[in-house]
Amino acid sequence: FIKFQQSTVARKNVIEFRPPLYKQRYFFVKDIVNQYKPKKVADLGCGNATLLCMLKFHSCVQELVGVDLLMDRLLDWNSDRLSPSVGDHLGPRDLDLSIVLYRGSAVEKDSRLLGFDLITCIELIEHLDSEDLAKFPEVVFGYFSPGMVVISTPNSDFNPLFPASTFRNSDHKFEWNQKQFQHWASNVAKLYNYTVEFTGVGAPPPWAKHVGYCTQIGIFKKKQPEPGSWIVAKPTGSSDSQPEEHTYQVVFTASFPSLQQKHFLLFVLCTEVLKEVEAIRQKYVWILKRKESNEPESEEDIDRSLVRRPGLFLTDAQVAQIEKSPKPYSVGKRFYVPLKRLIGYPKVNRLVGDVSTLRTLLAEGIPTRLNRAHTSVLIDLDPYDYPRDYY
Amino acid sequence: MSLKGKRGLGAIFQDQVVNTRQYLEHVKDSTTGTQGRVVKIFTNHFRVISRPELITYKYNIDYMPEIEDGKVRTDLLCQHKQTIGECHIFDGNSLLLPHRLQKQKTELVSRWGTKIVKVTIEFCSELKPTSVDCLRYYNILFRKILKMMDLKQVGRNYYNENEAMEFLNHKLVIWPGYITSILEYETSITLCADVNHKLLRMQTAYDLIMHVDSKSQRKDIKDITKELVGSIVFTKYNNRTYRVDAINWEETPRSTFKKSGGEEITFVDYYKEQHGLVVTDLTQPLLVSKGKWKKSQQDTPHEPIMLVPELCYLTGLTDEMRKDYRVMRDLAMHTRLDPEKRQHELQRFMNIVQRHKTAQRELQLWDLKFDSDFLSFSGRIMKEVRILQGSRAPILYNRLRKLCVIQNTDVSFLLSFKVLCVLSSDRKDLYDGIKKYLCVNCPIPSQCVVARTLDKPQTLMTIATKIAQQMNCKMGGALWKVETGLRNAMFIGIDCFHDIVNRRKSIAGFVSSVNQELTQWFSQCVFQEAGQELVNGLRACLEAALKLWYKHNLFLPQSIIVYRDGVGDGQLQALIEHEVPQIRSSLKSVYGDEVRLTVVVVKKRINTRFFAEYHGRLQNPLPGTVIDVGVTKRQWYDFFIVSQSVKDGTVTPTHYNVIHDTVHFTPDGIQCLTYRLCHMYYNLSGVIRVPAPCHYAHKLAYLVGQSIHQEPHYSLASRLFYL
Repeated sequence: FIKFQQSTVARKNVIEFRPPLYKQRYFFVKDIVNQYKPKKVADLGCGNATLLCMLKFHSCVQELVGVDLLMDRLLDWNSDRLSPSVGDHLGPRDLDLSIVLYRGSAVEKDSRLLGFDLITCIELIEHLDSEDLAKFPEVVFGYFSPGMVVISTPNSDFNPLFPASTFRNSDHKFEWNQKQFQHWASNVAKLYNYTVEFTGVGAPPPWAKHVGYCTQIGIFKKKQPEPGSWIVAKPTGSSDSQPEEHTYQVVFTASFPSLQQKHFLLFVLCTEVLKEVEAIRQKYVWILKRKESNEPESEEDIDRSLVRRPGLFLTDAQVAQIEKSPKPYSVGKRFYVPLKRLIGYPKVNRLVGDVSTLRTLLAEGIPTRLNRAHTSVLIDLDPYDYPRDYY
Repeated sequence: MSLKGKRGLGAIFQDQVVNTRQYLEHVKDSTTGTQGRVVKIFTNHFRVISRPELITYKYNIDYMPEIEDGKVRTDLLCQHKQTIGECHIFDGNSLLLPHRLQKQKTELVSRWGTKIVKVTIEFCSELKPTSVDCLRYYNILFRKILKMMDLKQVGRNYYNENEAMEFLNHKLVIWPGYITSILEYETSITLCADVNHKLLRMQTAYDLIMHVDSKSQRKDIKDITKELVGSIVFTKYNNRTYRVDAINWEETPRSTFKKSGGEEITFVDYYKEQHGLVVTDLTQPLLVSKGKWKKSQQDTPHEPIMLVPELCYLTGLTDEMRKDYRVMRDLAMHTRLDPEKRQHELQRFMNIVQRHKTAQRELQLWDLKFDSDFLSFSGRIMKEVRILQGSRAPILYNRLRKLCVIQNTDVSFLLSFKVLCVLSSDRKDLYDGIKKYLCVNCPIPSQCVVARTLDKPQTLMTIATKIAQQMNCKMGGALWKVETGLRNAMFIGIDCFHDIVNRRKSIAGFVSSVNQELTQWFSQCVFQEAGQELVNGLRACLEAALKLWYKHNLFLPQSIIVYRDGVGDGQLQALIEHEVPQIRSSLKSVYGDEVRLTVVVVKKRINTRFFAEYHGRLQNPLPGTVIDVGVTKRQWYDFFIVSQSVKDGTVTPTHYNVIHDTVHFTPDGIQCLTYRLCHMYYNLSGVIRVPAPCHYAHKLAYLVGQSIHQEPHYSLASRLFYL
């Protein structure tokens, strides 16, 4: 969306950042997300949505919104990066995630951006003309009023280190030095009851420490009545008598499969249960064979070796719990693992907490694999022992 | 490496421009036959009823510095929509526009992160609306449309996540999807659409490694390697598929690799940081993928890709699953669509395309419109083929029955001059060992039977008959005969086997008829370097085949008919340039003169399907239905035959392309002959999909490639020992 002059191509930066500065900015936001675990994150001026693509991998994020004035380009080619892929279906997230992209401006109000935990404006404000810049704090801090705002902008103190003395980008309306940015930011923070701290990415070379980071960043946190809990879990839309206001245009939505959706929980649970049961069966058959070959072994050893197997990481407490539970058994050609035992395995326990839920879900997903009393999962003792029609 | 080499004209389109009919004077006017009963046929093609009638303009796009990633290339170009306009098709390398740009060469500047990239748009050529290149762009456009319709790309095709079918009992998921292609045929350009299913397993490579592990209680590296190497894995974080080429037991997820920026990072940290994924077992080995295997890139070394097993989902069916009738039954029920269901699905797909707003907008930009109904034309059902039953095979039922009594041991039984092995299980290594021994070291035709198949008394009779039949043809006994209607002709079938898993040498099976009745066959095979499709050792095979024919008949055949199977997309030109001339020159050296020769390329893997309407319902066409209009090519002498009948699902027709014909077959002649040859396969008392020599060649190449990996003993060559 920005057309460069020919001359900018030839220009060579003496200072090069590794990883590139834009990536460092994104990693900075990722670190913030890792640290504060926000649920709802919006990126104003999201460009080609690279940051959103990175943030979708964070398990804590449940709502991801991107806003930009120009959206067509993104949608043509990049929308599949934001949509759930086959992998997201096979290994669903723990928590729901929805992604919405809006065509809109950071200086216009839209009630759908109310109640966010984190709003980022990466290299955005320097593209605003003075009129829009004046509106910006009222919209973002006054109206959206998220728990936290991260604003990054070029630091002009750093520019003398670059060969050319112009702005870094021809669309920049201004480039602030550290003092200017901090002055503006502190005023905004004060006005809207936020705290602000300053940092940045792209450290200056050792001989020019005074110029500060190449990109300066302000982290704004909303002041709270109780200190420490800065995240407001404000229900969307219903906020402080704000009227619904939809000025943004929805251009893309995606909703990710997650274990919060019963369909996927069922799917993953049945898979994990069957995998577990098959692994236990293998161990069981192996022990049977050992017994036949008359190797002397105490009952306790057998119990223990029935539980443990490579690839299954259990704490001693978990082993003890499983050992206490009803043992797997076989009747005829069938092999049974009691649900009370299965619930002790962490991969199953992670999905459902109690036996009765486990029973209900399995009865729905794999009814033919439950015994009549619905107390055990059953499979064939020898999986290769079935009639064959072909030779 | 430049991208240009990689993205030439697609393989399919390379074949399109090969014109073989121009050399076939006798079918200059028509490649259509007349014999048989006319029947109305429908096909899964939708006619393109409107398309750009004007010249379009192709531009080459160059990046400075060079950008490899296709998505980034697109993104960088699309930053200049004002210049190129809304209406454009970009294939990653070149751009198609409906109008001419002002300048011959336009230089633009794009932004990629903080980097600045120079994009050069340079005029390349004007494309006529009918040009093949133009069709290639339409295909790209259509893929874009499938994407717009929210279908997900997996590998080459597009699938619908919303209609995923989960098989909780089998830990499987099936995504229904579509295969599409827009190509030009005799009378029209059509969109061919077929239903396709992607099978995904809820099992990771790590599960598999641990699974085998606990079976034997110790790490049996050999077993794991055997199961995993060659399989395709799917990584959930980037939606990509990789082929596993090796397992690296020395390294773990704690090993490091160099990122593009140059920093070293461990796999654990990388996946945590990039994708929020936690690797739980830090001692697991890593999978190695050497990347895409392409013939052109054989020599170029590239960095292998390391994958963490825990994050790799397995795809496709395992042999174990294939043997599990419950899995196969459930899958067949959902994936094997009968003609009615297939038509319904495709019609629905077309309706969605027609109604989808953004898709339609994109199509309207190019004035592309599709018919909403299946293309239809008439086909013909050929006369039934008379089968002459020979004398019955020596009856072995009783002997077999006796065998079953003592079958609990897996000893070999010597039955007069044959070996019958009753195996206790169908373990591949056992079978391979036996076959290798009996085909190479101690050449005797042999028959393996899995003990369990003889278990059931109620089916014993049928099975014993079949086994007796199979044993009989392995010994060279004729079971039946079919009149070909062609005197003194030698028939040759050629097929190839590629061992993609181990990248071993490819094997070409070469099977030729020995007698007039086509009851005896001579089987040879040729080993060649991996990935090579074209048979280089043709000359020796051909000479040996002619020699044997001469020995039996005391004269040389007057004409030679070659059915060539196993030709990949894009290889047609090479076939005409190398293989056919080689056959001709070999023949010339034997005969001293040109001899009548016909070469037919046989293709089984096609997406075209045919349906016939009986009693108001779409059904599979009857065996013997031939189609030589509508979806055949103007530049080829080609036709389709449905020769086999299927119990359920939709029948797949076989495509035949006559690329060389100095026998001067009429369309009726070659069609009829081909159909008759489909009756000559002795291992099955029915009609098969391809002419018998092709299938013999396939069986031979398969046995050699899969099990014995060596040239079978020459004394077996005159027997169908590989059935």
